[in-house]
Amino acid sequence: MKSLLEYVGIEPGRLHFSWISSAEATKFQETVVEVTESVKALGPAKHMIKDIRKVA
Amino acid sequence: MSDNSQYQPRIAAFLCNWCSYGAADLAGVSRLQYPPNIHVIRIPCTGRMSPKFILQAFRQGVDGVWVSG
Amino acid sequence: MEAVAQKIRETAAKLLSEGKVDCVIGYAQGTVPMRDYPYFAYTPEEAQNLTWSPFCCNNLANFLIRRPKGEIGKVAIVAQGCVSRSIVGLIKENQIAREDVYILGVPSPGMVDRRKVQDRFPLKTITEVTVDGEDLVVKGKDFEERIPQKEVRRDNCYTCVQRNPVIVDEMMGEEGPSDWGGNIDAVAAPWEKLEPGERWEAFIDEVDSCIRCYACRDACPLCYCHVCFVDEAMPQWCGKTQDEADVATFHILRAFHCAGRCTDCGACESACPQGIKVRRFTSKIEKDIRELYDYSPGMDLEATPPLSVYRPNDPQEFIK
Repeated sequence: MKSLLEYVGIEPGRLHFSWISSAEATKFQETVVEVTESVKALGPAKHMIKDIRKVA
Repeated sequence: MSDNSQYQPRIAAFLCNWCSYGAADLAGVSRLQYPPNIHVIRIPCTGRMSPKFILQAFRQGVDGVWVSG
Repeated sequence: MEAVAQKIRETAAKLLSEGKVDCVIGYAQGTVPMRDYPYFAYTPEEAQNLTWSPFCCNNLANFLIRRPKGEIGKVAIVAQGCVSRSIVGLIKENQIAREDVYILGVPSPGMVDRRKVQDRFPLKTITEVTVDGEDLVVKGKDFEERIPQKEVRRDNCYTCVQRNPVIVDEMMGEEGPSDWGGNIDAVAAPWEKLEPGERWEAFIDEVDSCIRCYACRDACPLCYCHVCFVDEAMPQWCGKTQDEADVATFHILRAFHCAGRCTDCGACESACPQGIKVRRFTSKIEKDIRELYDYSPGMDLEATPPLSVYRPNDPQEFIK
């Protein structure tokens, strides 16, 4: 899925997958920081959003 | 929105009930600080995840999607 | 070509009169040139309408499924390489039973893209197209021209890897060479060459003319869900408008649903009334499946589809 979305032009940093066990609170916290930073760096999403104002 | 340092992204986080959701719970109990930008959606298992969810999240305007098992 | 068509007619008539099958699914000549259409022969007389030509662009495997149970018993089907691969896929997915289909195998001549032929005669009406050896003879009101078939084939036929059927009950002609020599990996996923920033624009540009008629879905033998995700209303995954987001969602998800199953028969592209190159999406996914799992769908009845089984060595670089 990630590879296809990249193919059509969604930035790779917008979609993340990870595997965290329920005992890994620190890993969870680290991943949240990482994901947030990565999305922050990309700025607001520009594609795929259904803009009701444009449609209606 | 124009100022990047002020920009706060919205991230949809699909967390497995048994793994990452538990980790999130533990992170809370352990008083670990993490950014408030994630909006957690609890799913019964990552097997419940569907590509539809990801696209639907993007359609509704999130800036990022995070799937975690 | 005509010899194959004759053999199909004879065999179909024989099977129907002996009562071995209830119906023979094949092609009949269309009323418009280069438009041979799927044909269902129920009697030996009807079997005489069957034909075989480079204009048989549908994937007949599509008609084996989505039928009310018990409506028709055993059917015979005319199948070239890609159609037989679709049949293998459907058997694996338990949509049809092997013993219910009788496969009349034909080596594929490579199908002609009618748009490519029409493009050579802008603003002219083609009234008749016949096959003469390796050439097509195109006739109109005040012109007649020969075109080599190999210049106007469908894109997917150039890179075909399996012209001969993979499973067969009776062959309708000599097995030909197995492929056309094109390298699918070289042309698959054309947008990979683009910069990430340009891809979205190219993608939207391609699907911009989409009218959401779902012809690509209906032509596809893989799309047999009773309720397609585009028709679901609660929740609505994909809106019904021609808005950029809706069209993008439809094309991404349609392609994704074919992951590890698409046999590159090209029926979707032939069916598209707007001429959208819908194979640009599926070819990317199939390329990934070949690279990640070393798997080509429909080639082997025994092989397990990679996305339905877990193997410890499955690639998982995308997971952190």
